[in-house]
Amino acid sequence: MINMISNPIGVASLSKREILRFLSVASQTIFPPLISSALFMYIFGIALNNHINFADHGLSYLTFIIPGLMTLHLISSSYENTSSSLFIARWHNHVQEILLSPLSYFEMVLGLLAGGVSRGFTVALGVFFISIFFTPTIIIHPFFLLYFILTIAVIFSCAGMIGALWAEDFGMLSLWNIYLIVPTVFLGGVFHPVTMLPNSLQIIAKFNPMHYLVNGMRYSITGIADSPILTSVIFTFVLALTIFGWTVYLFKIGYKLRT
Amino acid sequence: MRNSEIAISLKNVTKFYQKFQALDNVSFEVKRGDFFAFLGPNGAGKTTTINVVTGLSNYQSGGIQVFGYDTTAEYLHSRRLVGLCAQEFNFDPFLTIHQLLVYQAGYFGILPGEASRRADALLERFQLGEKRSAKHRALSSGMKKRLLFCRALIHDPEIIILDEPTAGCDLELKFLIWDYLIQLNKEGKTIFLTTHYMEEAEKLCRTIGIINHGRIVRIGDKKEILQDKSLEAVFLEVTGPDD
Repeated sequence: MINMISNPIGVASLSKREILRFLSVASQTIFPPLISSALFMYIFGIALNNHINFADHGLSYLTFIIPGLMTLHLISSSYENTSSSLFIARWHNHVQEILLSPLSYFEMVLGLLAGGVSRGFTVALGVFFISIFFTPTIIIHPFFLLYFILTIAVIFSCAGMIGALWAEDFGMLSLWNIYLIVPTVFLGGVFHPVTMLPNSLQIIAKFNPMHYLVNGMRYSITGIADSPILTSVIFTFVLALTIFGWTVYLFKIGYKLRT
Repeated sequence: MRNSEIAISLKNVTKFYQKFQALDNVSFEVKRGDFFAFLGPNGAGKTTTINVVTGLSNYQSGGIQVFGYDTTAEYLHSRRLVGLCAQEFNFDPFLTIHQLLVYQAGYFGILPGEASRRADALLERFQLGEKRSAKHRALSSGMKKRLLFCRALIHDPEIIILDEPTAGCDLELKFLIWDYLIQLNKEGKTIFLTTHYMEEAEKLCRTIGIINHGRIVRIGDKKEILQDKSLEAVFLEVTGPDD
């Protein structure tokens, strides 16, 4: 990948701009998912914990939902960062600043990706640190966790860019997140193991791609998985590579960027 | 930079916006160091020509080179050589004008220290030094116009393309821009300018091209084109009084 970067200063500049953009408004980009995660942990992990029978699964319900909450906010934060940044750049037409520059299309995507991935990482790790106040948790497979955070952040940062290119107004921009991403993540096992579902729904749940992302994150932290971990590893890798390539292609053809 | 005496070259460029043909087999060259005026009525294809040269628009057929670099296949080289001063104020609303210039320089591979020095020098040159920490929304339209100049020049391009740079400017700003363009041209920069002000083209430029309905209808040395006529008379002659 190093050889594919001919303008490292350009990529660093774009990355810096994208990262500082979300850090400068941390009250809107970082703290809200942390606060909502803390509330979920309090309600499900403490207030309702005694009413949820979870003994068969080998861990407390609070420990079970922590990876799910991390995944949920990792996905939302990565998607929102790139989608809002690129869409606003299109809206104000200052996207021309990068389109006129000697950044390759690969480098443009890489620079924008830096913001989404960094925000996703910050939020996911923030959720984990908050969880320590509720229940101390040891990460069983830290390298798997890094791998899944990175690949999931790449997937949804790229999805955010594609959404930003496709959208014609702010309403369209949030459509994917509201109607597709959040529901499928919830159904993918943030709050429940797939094995809790009736057999017929378990089969359907296994066709939900989000299941493999949540499954990977949960395995990384707790060592417990609903589906084979190798499936999650391969699935996220192939999906990240495919969607990244697709995003670069859209920049190359100038989809809704060039007239 | 590839050794070429031709700064901009378009060969048989055709561009459609869906069914509307914006450029019809456009071919012309701009020599290195020239001061080129590109004239035409509204909707004639001036901005589209700028957009295809800078890569902001795709085109259907033909070829475009900047100092010998193909703007599609070798865009990483060609884009380094061009600075665009567009018509609209398209700035990032979240950045101060100094940050905006530093980031823009960064995209062109200029290190932050040097980028900051250049940004300060340009802001001073265009009398925006006191506003360096302001966001572009706090600027008057004349100041925004000057900021467009600063952004176009931050990477010290060989070719400066200006799309109606003095439209809506007061006299003081117009003369400031003219002086700076003349100075840049004397330093060897190639200037490509579109304007609706005939006296501007007549005063500043050495070569004139006129486009109408997406076709080049007149191009050449200013003296040859004008002969004993005014530029306005030539312009109306080739574009038609209805335009």
